[in-house]
Amino acid sequence: MRKVVVSVLIDLPAEHPYHRATLNALQHASTHHGLTPEVRVMGTDAIEDVDEVVGPGTAVVIGPGSPYRNQDAAHGVVQAARERGVPLVGT
Amino acid sequence: MLVEHARSLIGLADASHAEYGDEGTPVITLLACSLQDQTITVELTPRSRLARLYGKESATERTTCSYGLAPSLQRIASECGMRVAAIDETGEVRAVERVDHPFFVGTLYQPQLTSAPGAPHPVFVGLLRAAAFEAAIGR
Repeated sequence: MRKVVVSVLIDLPAEHPYHRATLNALQHASTHHGLTPEVRVMGTDAIEDVDEVVGPGTAVVIGPGSPYRNQDAAHGVVQAARERGVPLVGT
Repeated sequence: MLVEHARSLIGLADASHAEYGDEGTPVITLLACSLQDQTITVELTPRSRLARLYGKESATERTTCSYGLAPSLQRIASECGMRVAAIDETGEVRAVERVDHPFFVGTLYQPQLTSAPGAPHPVFVGLLRAAAFEAAIGR
């Protein structure tokens, strides 16, 4: 089985309560399923290649905290996930 | 998600989010009454993916949203493969999902704020379940 990778797009700083809550929610669900996904946290302005965010075996979480620093990159990730059948939740 | 949906599938090439300025057709607009730091009740659409995940007809959620789907464009949440998954007490769209996708959910509330150890939020449970399935079949 391919390892589950979760890309978390969030522009809020790591110490922000909503940032922490997003990662905590992933941890709660991971524990529920007995999974240990690789979680990759990145700001929208750090996205250089959509394929690195929306690759095979990947799920995507769009965190709260708009406006995004790079709206076009965020839309690119959403479009790629939609077209490729990659699980995504936008919050 | 809804801006990308509007641009790519609805045909509103200039769809925009009002938070970024006045240009284009605003799909996401400032709520008449801000839901910043509010607790709301959402009514889940029967037989939707979200309703199955929650296993109930309604839920209490927290929201930090000051913006929402424009009242005049609520219809786009039910077009081109998207469907309304939850509405709030005013009848406005609070969650959407794609019917043609393994898991593609957008919430106009913040499910992570009500998740807890031993009580994971259904949206995140569903996301990881879908991711694990896709990984298991090699996609």
